[in-house]
Amino acid sequence: MKYELVVGLETHVELLTKTKIFCSCINGFGAEPNTHCCPICIGHPGTLPKLNKEVINLAVKAGLATNCHINLKSNMDRKNYVYPDLSKAYQISQYNIPICENGYIELSSGKRIRINRIHMEEDAGKLVHKGGDVYIDYNRGGVPLIEIVTEPDISSSGEAREYVEKLQSILRYVEVSDCKMQEGSMRCDINVSVKPVGSCKLGVRTEIKNMNSVTFMTKAIDYEFERQSDILENKGEVVQQTLRYCENSNSTESMREKEDAQDYRYFKDPDLVDIVLSEEDVNKLKKSLPELPDVRIKRYAEDFGVSKSDAELIVKYKNAADFFEKASKGLQSPKTVSNFIIGQIFRVIETESEREKFNILITPNQLNELVKLIEGNKINMNLAKKTFSRMLETGKSAADFISESDMQEISQSELEEICKEAIKSNSKAVNDYLGGKEKALKAILGNVMRQTKGRGNAQMIEEKLVNLLKNS
Amino acid sequence: MVTKEEVLNIAKLSKLYLTSEELEDAFNEMKGIVKFVNQVNEMQNPDEEINHANELFNAFREDEIVPSFPREKILENVEGGKEGFFYLEKSQ
Repeated sequence: MKYELVVGLETHVELLTKTKIFCSCINGFGAEPNTHCCPICIGHPGTLPKLNKEVINLAVKAGLATNCHINLKSNMDRKNYVYPDLSKAYQISQYNIPICENGYIELSSGKRIRINRIHMEEDAGKLVHKGGDVYIDYNRGGVPLIEIVTEPDISSSGEAREYVEKLQSILRYVEVSDCKMQEGSMRCDINVSVKPVGSCKLGVRTEIKNMNSVTFMTKAIDYEFERQSDILENKGEVVQQTLRYCENSNSTESMREKEDAQDYRYFKDPDLVDIVLSEEDVNKLKKSLPELPDVRIKRYAEDFGVSKSDAELIVKYKNAADFFEKASKGLQSPKTVSNFIIGQIFRVIETESEREKFNILITPNQLNELVKLIEGNKINMNLAKKTFSRMLETGKSAADFISESDMQEISQSELEEICKEAIKSNSKAVNDYLGGKEKALKAILGNVMRQTKGRGNAQMIEEKLVNLLKNS
Repeated sequence: MVTKEEVLNIAKLSKLYLTSEELEDAFNEMKGIVKFVNQVNEMQNPDEEINHANELFNAFREDEIVPSFPREKILENVEGGKEGFFYLEKSQ
């Protein structure tokens, strides 16, 4: 039997606030353990939480940017569980009424991944296990989070990757989170089940906790799909359980089964009062949103003549997109700029995090000047590409590599002279070409290009050579 | 009504391990609590939603940093912790 994959994702995202959600300690990564702590965030009795206003603003922004409905009235609840990462023995979260509901993110195929809800909560502390002992750092305890929960709409690991990367991109554009998976400011729990192709009934699902890399997430989904399909194929039953993904063996192992399924005894946190927003508050936040990735992609395609796939590649990284816009100012063909970014800059900065930072030596203006030289027919594409590589290596401008004489447009008569000269001095290639070896023309062309030092346009030279050879 | 099983379950979720005597006490206390809450519920007009004892909402804080406590203070109640951490020894 053939099976299809059903995946839903729960993504935890740490918010870019200055302080924690319920106290005024710093919200920051990488400090000495337990130095961002106070009696509130380490859960001393008698302390009272006070909600950070910015957390609400950022949660609402995240909701607006993912097409959610904003609940004007919501509240905080207690989720009770006993574990050392949570010193109060309860996490303050949202249960019945999350701040945002019913949104979606659209994939490039046009398929929508529906978002069931986005709720606000506090992060737990970090446990470090050493030789069976546990060391606890509460710096992360009380860091504001939003949890973004999708419907089970994802049907391949590729879609899961696209969804997560798109979510990252959106949340970075609206400056809600830096979404650094390697630092834990974005983490995914994956719910996976399989069902016979075409069946409406969902299968028993397993949950894989705490994925902190997109690549491992896709591997875990693929592995779990195979594992569950095999079980069903052999007439077995998938057990509902929580799993952990092991990177080394690329497999999943059980953390806990359903028997001890958690009973969190949620109830409204009596220490915190209701959150009431006005339409005006929400509209204000809506107006403060920058242009979102989808809108940018459309604009680049429609106004700048960049292909949709190229636009998606650039827009994914806000800094790259900003660079593109600045470098394209006043140009006839912004597409040339996007080609340089994708073809050359992205070849130098390869990793996701490098592209996100977009730390390169040259300024948008320097690329703009270079493309202007191409558009003005001062240099050809070949020379421009070579020059651009050197610019990227050194941070110098085009003018540092191209001399005045290189930039003078070559005259037709001069070009013809050089072509004739090249035909004379390459008799072997000429004979080969005239004997039917079309490739031999390349050798003569190369010779001419060298002589013109990149001033001539390759296509023009080729035409000229063919003409001269025809009449020879 | 509360059952002994429910009380045992709540104790388990709270990581409390009760002797049969303690269970008896907890059971009686829990019965009293539930009875009291039921009394309160009878007083409430079902059409009226009571969220909070007062009518406050939106008690917010500005996103401004206040220095945290010195770590020695934070770790004072756990005998100074270990290497700057709260510390749990492997249970025997």
